Amino acid sequence: MNTPSALKRVMSLVMLAAGLGLLIWALVMDFSGSKVSYRGLPLIIGVIAIIIGLYFFPTLKHHRTIINVLFLFPLLFAFAVTVIIPLVLGIRYSFTDWDGIRIRNEVGLDNYIRMFKDPAFIWSIALTFLFVVVNMIMVNLVAFLLALLCTSKIKGLGFFRAAYFLPNLIGGIVLGYIWQFTFSNVVTKIFNMKYSMIADTGTAFIAVIIVYIWQYAGYIMLIYITGLNTIPGDVLEASAIDGATPMQTLFEIKIPMIAPTITICTFLTLTSAFKQFDVNLALTNGKGSLDIFGNYLTNGTEMLALNIYNTAVINQNYALGQAKAVLFFIILACVSIIQVRLSNKKEVEL
Amino acid sequence: MKKKVLALVMAAAMTISLAACGGNGGSADGGSTDSGSDTTASTDDGGSADSGDYDLRLLNGKPEINDQLEELAKLCEEETGLKVNIETIGGDTSAGDELKKMYQQDNMPDIFVIEANQADTWDGMLVDLAGEEWTDKTGFELVHDSMGTIGFPYTVEATALGYNADILEKAGVDPSTLTSPDAWKKACETIDSKKDELGLTAVFAYCAEPTNLGWSSGTHVFGQYLDAGLKADDTKYIDLLNDGGKIDEARMKKFAEFVGMMNQYSDKDHLLIDGTYDEQVAGFKEGKFAFITQGNWCVTSPDDVDFEVGFAPYAFEDGINTIIAGPPSYWVAYSDGNVDAAKQFFNWCAGDSAQDILVNKAGLVSPFDDCQYEATNPFYKSMNSYITAGNYSGWHTMLKKDGLQNETCQVFADYAKGSIKDADEFVSKISSVISAYYAK
Repeated sequence: MNTPSALKRVMSLVMLAAGLGLLIWALVMDFSGSKVSYRGLPLIIGVIAIIIGLYFFPTLKHHRTIINVLFLFPLLFAFAVTVIIPLVLGIRYSFTDWDGIRIRNEVGLDNYIRMFKDPAFIWSIALTFLFVVVNMIMVNLVAFLLALLCTSKIKGLGFFRAAYFLPNLIGGIVLGYIWQFTFSNVVTKIFNMKYSMIADTGTAFIAVIIVYIWQYAGYIMLIYITGLNTIPGDVLEASAIDGATPMQTLFEIKIPMIAPTITICTFLTLTSAFKQFDVNLALTNGKGSLDIFGNYLTNGTEMLALNIYNTAVINQNYALGQAKAVLFFIILACVSIIQVRLSNKKEVEL
Repeated sequence: MKKKVLALVMAAAMTISLAACGGNGGSADGGSTDSGSDTTASTDDGGSADSGDYDLRLLNGKPEINDQLEELAKLCEEETGLKVNIETIGGDTSAGDELKKMYQQDNMPDIFVIEANQADTWDGMLVDLAGEEWTDKTGFELVHDSMGTIGFPYTVEATALGYNADILEKAGVDPSTLTSPDAWKKACETIDSKKDELGLTAVFAYCAEPTNLGWSSGTHVFGQYLDAGLKADDTKYIDLLNDGGKIDEARMKKFAEFVGMMNQYSDKDHLLIDGTYDEQVAGFKEGKFAFITQGNWCVTSPDDVDFEVGFAPYAFEDGINTIIAGPPSYWVAYSDGNVDAAKQFFNWCAGDSAQDILVNKAGLVSPFDDCQYEATNPFYKSMNSYITAGNYSGWHTMLKKDGLQNETCQVFADYAKGSIKDADEFVSKISSVISAYYAK
């Protein structure tokens, strides 16, 4: 590359200076609460000028770095705006008494202390873990059995696959209301029950699990089908010639061969069960009573995500909800990391 | 050289796309009422052309009266020259949530709707409307401790035990005598014994299902404990409640016994425990129940029912003869908005032509003394007789801590189901739930 010409050098510096000036002017207008309607224009022109200025910046040494950063900028900017900034803001809010409108005081760790002193929240955490464990096992089991069924040689395979997958296409809120009706008007008649399963805490929790499996097993099934279809035909053929029984084929060949798929599926079910919200909201709204920890709790079926929502939005306690959300984030991050680490190890051993 | 050109083209493409994104972001606060979205509107006072030429923006929380409010806005422009833009929030989004977003966006409407217990969150941001002309014509305005008269009542709603007059007449029960627990007990026994010949499912259309109807038991039925029998401005029990979640156990016990009686004479097989609002109201309209635990909103048009309806008090103590009546929510003016226009609008709304629309077309009940229109609501006659006789209590249930209804409704549900055995257990459970919630 040639040495940058004097013209370019001047242009670059002028652009940078002008851009910075415009940017600062626009930001000052913005933060001082100015109502001038054209204040967006200097902001944009300023940013463009800075970018052009940087592009023509008179340096040979750092030219490549500048270009790299410039091209990465849109992505980094979007990532920061949608992920990083909300995360940092959220953590900050959890140390205040934010009520969704304004912050009046900084309260330090107060929200976190209150959160752990609240038996209803402790119950929500316990219930979520229970739900996750039950679901991780049940969804994978059901999905895997369905996948075996849908890779066998029965008639109407296409129909079965579509039918099992269909519930996944219906949103959780809709599913919740449909099943609410089913539990109170159909299931009661069939099993001759006095009232809906949803009315009692224990059975209501089972109801949430049933609906969740019904919704999610079809999706996981598709992944298992893909996994099962990638098993090379010659391996199966060889085992058949060697006289392996169907059971042996399943446990000695099919399952080990789809270990990576199992990893993906457990990971998916784990995180999605943790984040369970919509079915929980529509089906039971967390209601249900129980006598536990010496308290009479009224949130018998309320899982973590719903608890956070109710705390923040329904009970108008945004800062406390935010503190709970931070904990939720930490739990999810830890669980995901541990899970991926463990599964990776197993795959290597294989 | 070719590479350089390519790089330049790409850089240009990038900056243009960035500018395009930035451009959209920039114009969002420059005002875009014409973009179809109701929630983004201009903050500057008519400065730029596309900012929507409205003098006032009103955030309405009742989607069912959106059309009538549009009509109101049109009439307002004709009569006063004020251009009002109605923005309706409804369905599953509550106006309170939307307002929080609008506040963060610096996009507040000039007039918006709040419930009484939300006033504190807006402390210092609402206009004191004391001394306005309309305040002399009503006793229902919202007064806040530090902000003064802030709320304009646009409707009055009432709740008590709604009854089907035809059924009561056939059963030989006079609703005006239902002012003591004993009278209620006798009436329930009488109606219950004639259930088959009257074609009733049960005496009460009471639904304690907590998931979707928690607001009914947790706010409205519970509100009777707070207010029944009290004068409209008597805040004895709500003050006690808001003082760290205390309850008057003796009064709560009598209330619990009354609810126990309601449970006993309700549709225990279905409606009481896992019914829905639609089933409850439809059953009442079809004449399958003698009483309903809702308010005047459940039957809004005379065409809905072919019988007379009215209200009977929750007389869980001897001599209780009041229904709960008052505005469930209010219109307030935002202090950074167009205050003068908002004041002018309120005064105009209290006048004859606006009341004509609100009462006759929107089916609301007027809170103003000089309103000449009779509401079409079938419950109006009964409501009005209580209000004119001064036998009404306040809606102080709206002043309880936000979200409490989601906790107490579970206690009502357990009581209905029978897992809470008697009134004493109800009192101890509800008091522990309430004090735990206030301690949070």
